[in-house]
Amino acid sequence: MSNDWKSYKPMLVPAIRDLHDISVYEKNNGYQALKKILKDRKTWTPANVVNEVKTANIRGRGGAGFNAGLKWSFMPEPDGKPRYLACNGDESEPGTFKDRKLFEFNPHLFIEGAIIAAYAMQIDVIYVYIRGEYRPFIQKLQKAIDQACEKGYLGKKILGSDFSVEMYTHMGAGAYICGEESSLMESLEGKRGYPRVKPPFPAQRGLWGRPTTINNIETLANVPLVMQHGAEWYLDIGPKTHPGPVLYGISGHVNRPGVYEYPAGMDIMTLINEVAGGVRGGKKLKALIPGGSSTPPLRADMLDGVTMDSESLREAGSMMGTAGMVVLDEDTDMVDLIWRISYFYDHESCGQCTPCREGTGWLEKTLRKIKDGNGEMRDLDLLLAICHRMEGRTICALADAAAWPVRYSIDRFREEFEKKCKKTVYAVA
Amino acid sequence: MPEIYIDNKRYEFEKPGKVLQFMLDKGLDLPFFCYHPSLSIPANCRQCVVKAGMPVFDREKKVFEIDDEGNRVIRYFPKLMTACSLDLADGLVIHTHETDELVKEAQADNLEFILINHPLDCPICDQAGECPLQILTYKYGPEGSRFEHKKVHKPKAIQLGPRVILDAERCINCTRCVRFTDEISKTYQLTIISRGDKNYPTTANGREFDDPYSLNTVDICPVGALTSADFRFKARVWEMNQTPSVDITNGKGCSTWLWTRDNLVLRVTPRFNEAVNDHWMPDAGRLAYRKFNENRISRPHLRPDDAGQVRTSWNNAQLTLQEELEKVTADEILVIGSPHASVEDNYALRTYFGNLGVSRFRFLPHTEPGTGDGFLISDDQAPNTNGVKGLGFDEIDEKSLIKLIETGKPKIIAILDDDLLGRTALTEEHLASSWMIVWGTNHNDTTRAANLVVPVTTAAEHAASYVNVDGRIQRTVPAKETLYTNRRLNLEMSMGRLDHYGTKFDNWVSDANRIDCIPAWEFFSRMKSDSDTIAWESSRQIMEDIAGTFPVFREVSYDRMDEENGIQLKLEQDSEVKPA
Repeated sequence: MSNDWKSYKPMLVPAIRDLHDISVYEKNNGYQALKKILKDRKTWTPANVVNEVKTANIRGRGGAGFNAGLKWSFMPEPDGKPRYLACNGDESEPGTFKDRKLFEFNPHLFIEGAIIAAYAMQIDVIYVYIRGEYRPFIQKLQKAIDQACEKGYLGKKILGSDFSVEMYTHMGAGAYICGEESSLMESLEGKRGYPRVKPPFPAQRGLWGRPTTINNIETLANVPLVMQHGAEWYLDIGPKTHPGPVLYGISGHVNRPGVYEYPAGMDIMTLINEVAGGVRGGKKLKALIPGGSSTPPLRADMLDGVTMDSESLREAGSMMGTAGMVVLDEDTDMVDLIWRISYFYDHESCGQCTPCREGTGWLEKTLRKIKDGNGEMRDLDLLLAICHRMEGRTICALADAAAWPVRYSIDRFREEFEKKCKKTVYAVA
Repeated sequence: MPEIYIDNKRYEFEKPGKVLQFMLDKGLDLPFFCYHPSLSIPANCRQCVVKAGMPVFDREKKVFEIDDEGNRVIRYFPKLMTACSLDLADGLVIHTHETDELVKEAQADNLEFILINHPLDCPICDQAGECPLQILTYKYGPEGSRFEHKKVHKPKAIQLGPRVILDAERCINCTRCVRFTDEISKTYQLTIISRGDKNYPTTANGREFDDPYSLNTVDICPVGALTSADFRFKARVWEMNQTPSVDITNGKGCSTWLWTRDNLVLRVTPRFNEAVNDHWMPDAGRLAYRKFNENRISRPHLRPDDAGQVRTSWNNAQLTLQEELEKVTADEILVIGSPHASVEDNYALRTYFGNLGVSRFRFLPHTEPGTGDGFLISDDQAPNTNGVKGLGFDEIDEKSLIKLIETGKPKIIAILDDDLLGRTALTEEHLASSWMIVWGTNHNDTTRAANLVVPVTTAAEHAASYVNVDGRIQRTVPAKETLYTNRRLNLEMSMGRLDHYGTKFDNWVSDANRIDCIPAWEFFSRMKSDSDTIAWESSRQIMEDIAGTFPVFREVSYDRMDEENGIQLKLEQDSEVKPA
């Protein structure tokens, strides 16, 4: 793993001019994976495609890191009625900006992946749910879809086979919660974006009560790579437990922020210091939020030898999330940062479940009190107690996402919080 | 039979279902807000959380794994589960607040969360006293709150529609009201707007919440967020007596509760009846409380000459009718029954005049085609059309009735509680040559035109039965006193909390607002008569007579109606067999 990242050639967003144009994409091995499957359908039965993707162990890139092929295998046998694939391009987690790269520079890779997924699960309608703020990228994607339709990769009887699939884009209206798969479905159905109670799971009852699979855009973009080169090849990229190329979105106090494609399992310090050009202004690193705002922040001294993959990050005390890394230098006010994050969750909580609706607001108000210098020591215990009450008691994971940053930053940066609090006469636990 | 264990006790279940409903059916206690048996399950209040687990099943040996102590090995779900959405399953183990500290803690935590932005204005809130949030907070809530910030402020006293007012701050976002308009009334008028702790239910921009069933949302609201524009601030719940009754504004005859104080009906709410109205009733039926209180006829009214009506004594009213009857022969009398009056009153009318030899018994159904909605509002505007039919009154249409009066020129027209002049083309000129007696509850065009008006009781004051459009007979219970009844002496009267627990020093008994009227049957049983068939003591006794006379009513009795919440009649038999 050590140094070969320097020789790594990007595959998700390769440096090819005008790759978003279908003719350029076709020249660069585009739609070969799809053709390969449709040419030899005896070998590549839907079940075999699912198995191949399962073997390749594509960990979902939307945050949860669930094996995509395994998710596909949950779909029931077709019964002649509609079934759906919903592609999640809502991408609204603060610190995450990777899917837009795909929409902008390599939309056909994602489209091809989605078509293969539809083939594998015998689905004939694909919805692409995109963050509404991504208007220019939506137009780019729509153009790519139109091109794919013209060339016969999408629509009726794809490439002369009896396999047909339609693809529609749908703009989100600016709600973070609609990136959660079940509220994404509600939103697609034209309803208020409230997460659904599970079970039933989407594979049993999804869009309009029919079996549905929801995949992240980047996850689907990995599918053509697997189908073209095989699962074994794919497993060799990065660690076996979390293989494949990953779009690292590095932001914050670094010299060269941006989206960088490298194999999973990159050393975090390498990413910060070599890929992103080091901490801005030569300052010291204080902390890192490894995968979007909801993942617990890590102190700089916790990052030694930690790599960007689920297992290593879990050991270090955080999560891979969306690989949207937020780098924080020594001047960062952690209380201010965590208040801003909890302000975001307070604003974005859908308000369906009591603990999240009320808890996010309570967290925000208490953190603001501390930030403004009015906090007392007991407020820290209160914050931890609120987090405890929110975690695992709601329908979706937004409450956990809101509670974790608070809980872990008090845990890991307690002296900073205490410094902001007034001295009190009360005993502190 | 499949079994589940709740707090270490074993229960058997037959049908698949949800844990919360199963527990409620068994009389077990679990707090909840958003769940409603007739609506979908959103599991959003998170109040009914329980610890749940399944026994570990050894697939090879096909037995449950047993631990060293001989108990089943239980694998608990990693998170607490909401009982409302949890399916019953064979072997399921449930621990509620009774046996699990974490569940107890979670329930208190959740109430603390709900209350941080709740205004806690119970002293001025209409819901106080019947508020699930209030009740459950006392029972399961935390001692106090650690919330020290300004509460979220939201709009207050918004007139959502003509009948419903919203206080968004009190709302706990259970979405029951939204689900009601989506799933039951299907008007889709309400939705939750905004996000997080700022959200509340409202209508689409510029739209009114004019759903004909809108007030049901007030009933199911677990807090005082939705209140009735009409009943708001009128009475506290604990001051009122609650009496089971039937909606008399509509042919459907929804089961209702009448809420009374000081002999006034203050509000009407639906009473659960699976066979008729489930938990719901139309808004129109709730306005019936006005009919019980306002514009009532008190004391008999007599028109001695053309000058106008004067009040008279009951004795004089009876003597006047007696005198008038003696002037004419039986075939000069036209008797008009009423779909608005009860089975008992119509029967008494028919029996009294039948004994005099009268044979012309008619009634005019009160239907307005096109007003029904196939749900709880029927075309039929009267509560007892099928009842009058079943008693052998001949149905007649408006034109024929007017023709009958114009050509037949009956000397005496006897009308039981029905505003014929108000709702038909019948005018005073048609009736000029007849002497008209009306038994009425409220002043209307017909009573004003009558020569003698006998005030009779409404559904809120008598025990009587009504047969709805589907042929279901249901009965009312006296809810308020008339001048001649007494809560404690009238055995039919429903007894409220205050009746049972009040002392004579409490000022809950009031003589105010008592109307000088009697049930129509009582008027007839007071009339001098050769026959002893009309010496009734109570409406209960009349129903026994009816059951013995008319085949349709054969199996009807008050006891059975009370037990089964109404009885379905077989109307096809109809009234072919008329009494001898």
